[in-house]
Amino acid sequence: MSIKLVNINYVYSKKTAYEKKALTNVSLEIQNGEFIGLIGHTGSGKSTLIQHLNGLIKATSGHIYYDGEDIYANKYNMKELRSKVGLVFQYPEHQLFETTILEDVKFGPKNLGLSEEEVEQRAKDALRQVGLAEELWDKSPFDLSGGQKRRVAIAGVLAMHPEVLILDEPTAGLDPKGRDEILGEIAKLHKERKITIVLVSHSMEDVADYVERIIVMNHSKVFADGTPKEVFMKYKELEKIGLAAPQVTYVMNELKEKGIDVDTTATTVAEAKDSILAWARKNNWIEDKVEA
Amino acid sequence: MIRDITIGQYYPVDSIIHRLDPRVKLLGTLLYIISLFLFDSFAGYLLVIGFIGSVILASKVPLSYIFKGLKAVIFLLLFTVVFNVFFTQGDNVIGEWWIFRLTWEGLYQGAFMGIRIILLIIGSSIMTFTTTPKALTDGLETALHPLNRIKVPVHEIAMMMSIALRFIPILLEETDKIMKAQMARGADFENGSMIQKVKALLPIFIPLFVSAFRRANDLAMAMEARCYNGGTNRTKMKPLVYASRDYIGYALLGGYIALFVVLNLWFAWF
Repeated sequence: MSIKLVNINYVYSKKTAYEKKALTNVSLEIQNGEFIGLIGHTGSGKSTLIQHLNGLIKATSGHIYYDGEDIYANKYNMKELRSKVGLVFQYPEHQLFETTILEDVKFGPKNLGLSEEEVEQRAKDALRQVGLAEELWDKSPFDLSGGQKRRVAIAGVLAMHPEVLILDEPTAGLDPKGRDEILGEIAKLHKERKITIVLVSHSMEDVADYVERIIVMNHSKVFADGTPKEVFMKYKELEKIGLAAPQVTYVMNELKEKGIDVDTTATTVAEAKDSILAWARKNNWIEDKVEA
Repeated sequence: MIRDITIGQYYPVDSIIHRLDPRVKLLGTLLYIISLFLFDSFAGYLLVIGFIGSVILASKVPLSYIFKGLKAVIFLLLFTVVFNVFFTQGDNVIGEWWIFRLTWEGLYQGAFMGIRIILLIIGSSIMTFTTTPKALTDGLETALHPLNRIKVPVHEIAMMMSIALRFIPILLEETDKIMKAQMARGADFENGSMIQKVKALLPIFIPLFVSAFRRANDLAMAMEARCYNGGTNRTKMKPLVYASRDYIGYALLGGYIALFVVLNLWFAWF
């Protein structure tokens, strides 16, 4: 399983006063099992890009290959593609419509034409996966809190058993606890079910702890693409386009400037802590209890 | 797809028509529509087409954009034309099948009604293309102001209209988003029987209604937070003032009406 984009261009409302270039020559490849953070400012083209991945938007020019097959080929099965590439939109709770939560989650697998038992089984599994208590399953989705609704919506996509899961700003509007829970569950999915995940966000902090690769979009183009360490090394350039590296990157760089020899490529608080402690130990600032 | 529906939207370019006072455009549209219904010959339509053609030219709105707006009413148009063609009584029969009867009178009537609807829609959409919803409401409110004396809540009506207009693009975008979200969950809006197609609309309409109510609620709250309490004693930051181009606009409208009356009388006599 891989998704390959070759020279994708997309223009909104072509030939009108509202014409706007959303993607310019975007080429990239997403490999099986990757955990990718797609980062960019509002209007940088990231939401447009992900809608290309499951064929909801057709590129103005360029090609997309899923598993080597051209998705714009004449008889390509779009419905099947959409079951393999699950897309969770921003504020997905706005798409809920069924009378009960369980029914709503069943909508996706039902559309795949599975048997009733299979649909039921998948829906229940998905709801368990997102951590929604069983006593809520027969309630109306409109009675839930914002964070719970979002879990239901994510479960609705998960129940289709996608090979790739794309989430557009899954933490927007959630409190810190809700954010950590949702991100934690997504990370768990990646680990346990080996699903390829594309996490769209404008917060470096959000993605830095979880992803293995970061793609930065700016003004409809791919600005940077690499591991978090590689991308955050360019933190000064990121600032110029209105994004920021995680706080620890700044702390580590400041320390280095002050003559303290720490690893400036640390991207998470845990890594930073280890690096600072290692330095302190080396310079006998603290006694190492293990050695002592 | 759905964002291509252009009817009722504002088209942001700078032109003489865009700068015209909304009251001139409102009266112009009203007179235009009346004239459209009073003509009953193709020759009269030449005048109407000439008039609306020059307005379109002056407005700098591309013709293709205007015609795109017609797509939304294509069914109404086809329906009207087909009914007129087959069910108009006439003596000059061309052909006959079952209950259908094709006559020259029918063809004439069908073409006539078709052109009338097209001109009607183009004429009224030219106004919304060139006037921001805010200007439109301002114009309507000022023009209808005298009705306040007989206790018509003019300000409230104008406000409701402007909110409704403002919500059209928002709800269209929302529909587009919900449709895509359900398509991502495997929903199919194109294939299947009639009943299946209608059923497939539920996952769009329910979230759309929920969202419309949510938005209306938020808007009401935001208006209240800014102490909105209707039109009483409300003053305007930018009151509508006529400029010389508006008087020229009125004069041109007068010219159009004069031509229209003369032509109608001429047709009546000969």
